[in-house]
Amino acid sequence: MDPRRAETGKNSDQIQSGHVYHLALDIGGSLAKLVYFTKNDEHIVGSEKKKSPMKASGISNSSRNSPVLNGRLNFKKFETSKINDCLEFINSMKLHLGGVYKIVMIAMVMNAGCQQPESPGSQTITIKATGGGAYKYADLFKEKFRISLDKEDEMDCLVAGANFLLETIHQEAFTYMGNQKQFVWIDKNDLYPYLLVNIGSGVGMIKVEGDGKFERVSGTSIGGGTFWGLGKLLTKCKSFDELLDLSYRGNNRAVDMLVGDIYGGMDYSKIGLSSTTIASSFGRAISENKERDDYKPEDIARSLLRMISNNIGQISYLTALRFGLKRIFFGGFFIRRHPFTMDTLSVAVNFWSKGEAKAMFLQHEGFLGAVGAFMSSDKHGLKELLANQKVERPPSKLSFSLDQTQVPQQDGELNGDESIECSVYGA
Amino acid sequence: MATKGSNSIHRSSSRPLLDLSKAEIQGNVEEKYPTILLPNQSDDLSHLALDIGGSLIKLVYFSRHEGQSTNDKRMKILKDKLGILNGNRRSYPILGGRLHFVKFETNKINECLEFIYSKKLHCGGWESHHSDSTNDQNAVIKATGGGAYKFADLFKERLGISLDKEDEMDCLVAGANFLLKAIRHEAYTHMEGQKEFIQIDPNDLFPYLLVNIGSGVSMIKVDGDGKFERVSGTNVGGGTYWGLGRLLTNCSSFDELLELSQKGDNRTTDMLVGDIYGTDYPKIGLSASTIASSFGKATLENKELEEYRPEDISLSLLRMISYNIGQISYLNALRFGLKRIFFGGFFIRGHAYTMDAISFAVHFWSKGTAQAMFLRHEGFLGALGAFMSYEKHGLDDLMVHQFVERFPMGAPYTGGKIHGPPLRNLNEKISWMEKFLQKGTEITAPVPMTPPGTTGLGGFEVPLSKGSTLRSDASALNVGVLHLIPTLEVFPLLVDPKMYEPNTVDLSDHSELEYWLTILSEHLPDLVDKAVASEGGTDDSKRRGDAFARAFSAHLARLMEEPAAYGKLGLANLLEMREECLREFQFVDAYRSIKQRENEASLAVLHDLLMELDSLDEETRLLTLIEGVLAANIFDWGSRACVDLYHKGTIIEIYRMSRNKMQRPWRVDDFDAFKERMLGSGDKKPLPHRRALLFVDNSGADIVLGMLPLARELLRRGTEVVLVGNSLPALNDVTAMELPDIVAEAAKHCDILRRAAESGGLLVDAMTNTLDGSKEKLPSVPLMVVENGCGSPCIDFRQVSSELAAAAKDADLIILEGMGRSLHTNLYAQFKCDALKLAMVKNQRLAEKLVQGNIYDCVCKYEPAY
Repeated sequence: MDPRRAETGKNSDQIQSGHVYHLALDIGGSLAKLVYFTKNDEHIVGSEKKKSPMKASGISNSSRNSPVLNGRLNFKKFETSKINDCLEFINSMKLHLGGVYKIVMIAMVMNAGCQQPESPGSQTITIKATGGGAYKYADLFKEKFRISLDKEDEMDCLVAGANFLLETIHQEAFTYMGNQKQFVWIDKNDLYPYLLVNIGSGVGMIKVEGDGKFERVSGTSIGGGTFWGLGKLLTKCKSFDELLDLSYRGNNRAVDMLVGDIYGGMDYSKIGLSSTTIASSFGRAISENKERDDYKPEDIARSLLRMISNNIGQISYLTALRFGLKRIFFGGFFIRRHPFTMDTLSVAVNFWSKGEAKAMFLQHEGFLGAVGAFMSSDKHGLKELLANQKVERPPSKLSFSLDQTQVPQQDGELNGDESIECSVYGA
Repeated sequence: MATKGSNSIHRSSSRPLLDLSKAEIQGNVEEKYPTILLPNQSDDLSHLALDIGGSLIKLVYFSRHEGQSTNDKRMKILKDKLGILNGNRRSYPILGGRLHFVKFETNKINECLEFIYSKKLHCGGWESHHSDSTNDQNAVIKATGGGAYKFADLFKERLGISLDKEDEMDCLVAGANFLLKAIRHEAYTHMEGQKEFIQIDPNDLFPYLLVNIGSGVSMIKVDGDGKFERVSGTNVGGGTYWGLGRLLTNCSSFDELLELSQKGDNRTTDMLVGDIYGTDYPKIGLSASTIASSFGKATLENKELEEYRPEDISLSLLRMISYNIGQISYLNALRFGLKRIFFGGFFIRGHAYTMDAISFAVHFWSKGTAQAMFLRHEGFLGALGAFMSYEKHGLDDLMVHQFVERFPMGAPYTGGKIHGPPLRNLNEKISWMEKFLQKGTEITAPVPMTPPGTTGLGGFEVPLSKGSTLRSDASALNVGVLHLIPTLEVFPLLVDPKMYEPNTVDLSDHSELEYWLTILSEHLPDLVDKAVASEGGTDDSKRRGDAFARAFSAHLARLMEEPAAYGKLGLANLLEMREECLREFQFVDAYRSIKQRENEASLAVLHDLLMELDSLDEETRLLTLIEGVLAANIFDWGSRACVDLYHKGTIIEIYRMSRNKMQRPWRVDDFDAFKERMLGSGDKKPLPHRRALLFVDNSGADIVLGMLPLARELLRRGTEVVLVGNSLPALNDVTAMELPDIVAEAAKHCDILRRAAESGGLLVDAMTNTLDGSKEKLPSVPLMVVENGCGSPCIDFRQVSSELAAAAKDADLIILEGMGRSLHTNLYAQFKCDALKLAMVKNQRLAEKLVQGNIYDCVCKYEPAY
């Protein structure tokens, strides 16, 4: 049985019943992302019986006094507009918190409904959090559930997350073109400098030169929020995923002005533009005798997606070029491993770089910030444990590396929740 | 004896065109292409080009001046004296004329066809063109733009002309190159609602990035004429703005959508940094109002499209697209090492906020190291480029100093707007002005002067160009008629022509502009009276006078509202604009009769003055002469204070009173230095100057009692004297045409002047007599007259007539006289020869500002050769 799938089902549908030891949050403009560690226990079917190699490695001799716990790193997301769902989810978890995380059975608070926690002196829980929402919703968390958000800088987290994933997870980076997904093995020693393009509501472009060494060098306001915002206004879509879905079925020729439309179906070979190149996104929508309803929503969605992906691809390439960065990794919730999005980004980078550069993507693209926030606390010792591990084993055998399953075509439709098997210190 | 024949130069209604060719041709028949040199036979170049776009048709056409017979005797002698004969550097002459820029809406293409027909632009030649014009089936007109295909049949059918399609990008680049090289202040920056014109050295223009924002965006790296490459672009352009805008709002036109954006507030649609963080994100330098995600706000709310204001959507879209274009442009400029980025194309259309947004993006992403620039003629790049694609127009050889831009009032294209059907003649123009009355009074009403928008907000918190109603085309700058005057040259005695700035007063200072606009405005009724009187006060002249007043007031109002409307404007340009406006309504010389009367009155007392001067010793005489120049300079119709004086006394009374007041030291007094140069000190007797150029100012006492006696003194000392007069009338300034008559009349009273004038060819008939009669007499150094190429009370030494430039070659002294030429302009100009600047300050404000003095203070500024 594929444990990742099994977990995915559980995570999305019901409150995690395992003991949660470490939790970090990334609250963005559109989505709130959670990363948390659960200890393997009897409630988790499938993984419980699977003997963890981590355990077998016998790292209990480590310098720390805390016990080494085997379990899973879980990833979960909520729409920010439904932040209450997120709060409830957190409250519903049995958080085993040690160290900086004060041990409180939050579930009791939840179970007690609106009542105050039984113990009047009950302590406030502190959770590592990042993203703009960590500031915006800090009061909400505090007032409603006595959770204090320990704010970590968003970009620090993003980079820490990306560095961690790229350095330690075997098949984290991949290229995607023409429906071909190809994992790229990256030599840890030849990783830096790279350009990290984080496509959230907006787009941040970060030059990363090492652990903690990075600079936001560029960005654009035309990002995932633009896609979803404009898409919402132009179609009747109710969710981002629905819009993405639509785009997959659409044809942008109906709304975009192509080079062929201008040059009578011919290429403008003089400047190397083929007739199917988009000359002007939505340039055809200026027709006087057509109203919005006359255009198919899927065509509009498709055109929007291409416009935004193409633009991000172009600016990213130009920025990488400017700073002499050999690799461009795209991350952020906009991508969602949605094949068409990745494809258009790849095409754009390929087009603007005349084939010299390739867009790369991350398996955990939506969770960079949350992973980074998770990493910002050293209590779990995840990195340390991994480092020790590495001495003994080749990276490919690390237990937490993703299962070798292929990401399904319609991965974008999944809600993205998943987990990784690993070990941490208990507290 | 002077003859009327000596000043029979026929002049056209604007700057004169010295047609050097005719006399030369006759003497150069053995030249390779002699016939080409004849004006009427070198016309075989086409003179119309079109850029037919989706919404506008842009037309560039060339018109020649009529009647250019300047073959008078004075010129001929002058040419001998000054050696202009071989001044023509070309194997064929470039025709002087005018480049007109006209727009029509594409959906009103009939108006365009009518216009072409009425102007006979389809005949493939000039109005006096060759006789094979009947054969206009073969006329081929260069055209570019998508419509060149679409409307080809229509043009063939209606006008019998074939459109020869030129590549769009070729045209775009050719047009931009031409403008950036030929027009001094073509490029400008636009930040926070403020325009600033940038002077670009034509030799340091390339390489640059040309960003053309049409439906899509093309980014072209331009390395030189015909050398360019499309290096990038983006599909997010004007079509995206309009396309998405149409889907999201109910706007029915691009302009309507743009106009909406003026009233928008993008905070309702865009997700700002503050929406995410609740505050700034200082770590990476993002303020709370920075747009984090365009339209990102819409993802947070459960609102229908109809619940958003279309204004907000439009603004949000405009910013999204403008910022994006600015960013990608900057990245490309950086990539290819291009120092300048010029933006053009229909998306901009002079729309202030669009320009601000693009400028902001370039500024933001380049951290202030790069600037977005825009072009005044941006809508005409393609049409100009198509025009340039004709061979043999010779335009690309022209230099900045050979272009003068004029801003005539009139349909169909004025001030960037399309006003209606073409005007065929003055009468139609006046009628049009009368119909314009309603609008005219609107804009001539006092315009509240508000300081230009300098909100200290920084960034783009709110649209800075908000508030005033959108003038989509008209916050667009006025595009005037481009006069091509091949004979204009840079004055060779300027120390550094590149650094030379004629204007002393900077009109970009708002209070200065306001002051001078008010002065001009107050002076207007008096000027109209004079102008009407000069034409005999007929009903026709009154009607023209009205039209002139209306037109000029409209110009002033436009300037009050938008100081940069006409490009970079100095006081000299402003004063010249007034004269041009008078000429536009066919007031050839408003002060004609006044000038005559004053000349006569002054000439009547010249003899006595000369007697008085001759009785003085050399040193006293020199001082008295300079005093005389300064005193006589009081007669100036351009000065309000002096006009009041005139009502109180006769010319001679005022002159004497004025001279008596000449107590040294003057406010600026370099007389002793000048005297030492002239007379030496002790035993040292300096060599006299070889040739002096005297830039004269007003008619009457100023020239007759001031400058002529000084000229006479120089002649007596063996210095050749060249009187430099205006080419065209300006106020009561004496013109080059009038000077020979004045000199001839003065020569009656003075032998020195007579012999010098004879020698200089000013007294052509008399010269013959003299040569016959008294051969034993020593030939005098010549007294000559040249025109300066200007029709303004000021002078811009970057653009002077070729005869002045020729005369300057041997000159080692120049004397600038009067406020216009030595204070308003050129006070700080540096020359390669000795220069004396003389003026009486007849304006309190100027006196305070320039010399920290008072009205009627005198300036005698002497600067030895630099």
